[in-house]
Amino acid sequence: MHIIVCVKQVPDPESSPARFVVDEQARRVEPRGVPPVLNPFDENALEAALRMKDVHGDGAAVTILTLGHKLSTNLMLKTLGAGGDRLVRIEDDAFAQGQLDVYATCLAIAAAVRKIGPYDLILVGEQAADSNDRQAGVGMAHVLGIPVVTMASNLELRDGALWADRRLANRRERVKCPLPAVVAVSSDGAGLRYPSLVQLKAARSKPAQIWNAQDIGFDAQSSDRRLALRRIYAPRPQQRDCVMIGAESGEQAGRMLAAKLREDGVL
Amino acid sequence: MGNVTSAVLVLIERCGKGGFEPLSLQCLELGRRVAGELGAKLTATLLGREVRSAAEELRHYGVDGVGVAEHPALDAYNPEAWAAALLRVIHQLQPRLVLMGDTPTAADLAPRVAFALGAGLVTDCVNIEVDAGEPLFTKPIFSGNAMAVYASSTGVTLATLRSGSDDAAARREQAAGDITEVEVEIRPGQAPVECVESIWEEEDGVSLGQAAVVVSGGRGIGGAEGFALLSALARILGGAVGASKPAVDCGWITPAAQVGQTGTVVAPSLYIAVGISGAMQHLSGMLASKVIVAINKSPDAPIFGIADYGVTGKYEEVIPAFTDAIAQWRA
Repeated sequence: MHIIVCVKQVPDPESSPARFVVDEQARRVEPRGVPPVLNPFDENALEAALRMKDVHGDGAAVTILTLGHKLSTNLMLKTLGAGGDRLVRIEDDAFAQGQLDVYATCLAIAAAVRKIGPYDLILVGEQAADSNDRQAGVGMAHVLGIPVVTMASNLELRDGALWADRRLANRRERVKCPLPAVVAVSSDGAGLRYPSLVQLKAARSKPAQIWNAQDIGFDAQSSDRRLALRRIYAPRPQQRDCVMIGAESGEQAGRMLAAKLREDGVL
Repeated sequence: MGNVTSAVLVLIERCGKGGFEPLSLQCLELGRRVAGELGAKLTATLLGREVRSAAEELRHYGVDGVGVAEHPALDAYNPEAWAAALLRVIHQLQPRLVLMGDTPTAADLAPRVAFALGAGLVTDCVNIEVDAGEPLFTKPIFSGNAMAVYASSTGVTLATLRSGSDDAAARREQAAGDITEVEVEIRPGQAPVECVESIWEEEDGVSLGQAAVVVSGGRGIGGAEGFALLSALARILGGAVGASKPAVDCGWITPAAQVGQTGTVVAPSLYIAVGISGAMQHLSGMLASKVIVAINKSPDAPIFGIADYGVTGKYEEVIPAFTDAIAQWRA
């Protein structure tokens, strides 16, 4: 079994808003001193792959696929330290922020997947914290011509098929899907396991390929885009006039808050 | 004026009780405005087993027409069947824009339909405006730290709308618009993905996305025990418990409770933020709340800037007294 997990490097979404500098002229976001992290949604996808590997051992090989610009080596090592077997790192100026729309991104990832070779499963997170597109899983499946299961959890490989729970509006389904397939892993999973220092050290000797756009046969110039970024601006969260409840003690503040909310018709 | 035959199509979802999904009615309100600016018609569409009477009811919401697709396979959301049906509706009605709420259903359905059509899809929109006859789509990126405005180059474009971005369309006495039936053909066993078991979920308490009151805790809560205090308050208010990502990462509460751009986006009538300083990632997922109460140790916490009521103090003292006071009136 060969599982490819797509992971994306993003600036840490939990960083202070002041550190995300919005350059309206250049139409880009400049993170200043924001550490790069694995897209939190992709951590769930990687964990799902590693859990299948826990079950199948060497019978399941996990390839980490990442595509981007100015990638952090330490971050990528973390994915191998956590249990990935091989890293395919595709780095190119063509993949810098704002160069591709989600459709072109799907084409590029599909090109990389084809170059990697035979696979049984491609796992992705539900969305990327930076571009917030939420459609790459379905898009890649479409481009590759294979089925897709979204909002999936409890993945299991059995009898040459994938079994998974998929979350729908008001129910959960256990589904069986032929391989190969794309799976968008649900974000209510447990998050990624922590690699130990020994594992992180061992990760350095795991196989890693570094390719560029040309290596995967992706021509950014001639690739279609469906969406064009027209404008970008910093959000101006509407400031509200905060009524501060001043009190002698916490207990008193709690009672006063309740009274005030009741008086104002909130409660 | 644009092409009079072009339409803005709004997918209407129904909630468990049989009414229209409130977010779908918000899409209808936005759709009406956009259709007006495009000089296009506003058409609603309903998919389901039997949706005729719901379609009649929809005629009271200011639409120019309702497209219905009925089939037993459309009873509950089924990815392949619904995608096939919506594609048929789009082929028949030829809309320029297709709007739906940013719901769990749309998260799966919208990309399936968009890629099948070769259409652009903008998810999680907070606004759509028309500039020189061209629709422009505004959405948060970088976890809400920036807003991006996109144009689409495809003939038809799909968009999903974030909850709370618009008011819900109001029901009118007067009904209007024709109902168009769209034939759909769905062959069983056509889909590669096979459902082997379906579990209808009993709502365990109030669902976070729908709750009228959300009580959320952050890193300042300090541990799982603190969330018990928040649960007690949420219970008394008939609300749900939420959390910021740091609290989830610490393992104090289930990941399903995470509120924010990287979790559930909420817009309750009352949001109580406890021990949350206010990363944009979190704020972006709750700013549309009607009333925001912040309780934090630090008077400098950014959360106070977007709150209506604030308390500086220890939540361990404030929350139990607050809860008791409410319990006393409710008793």
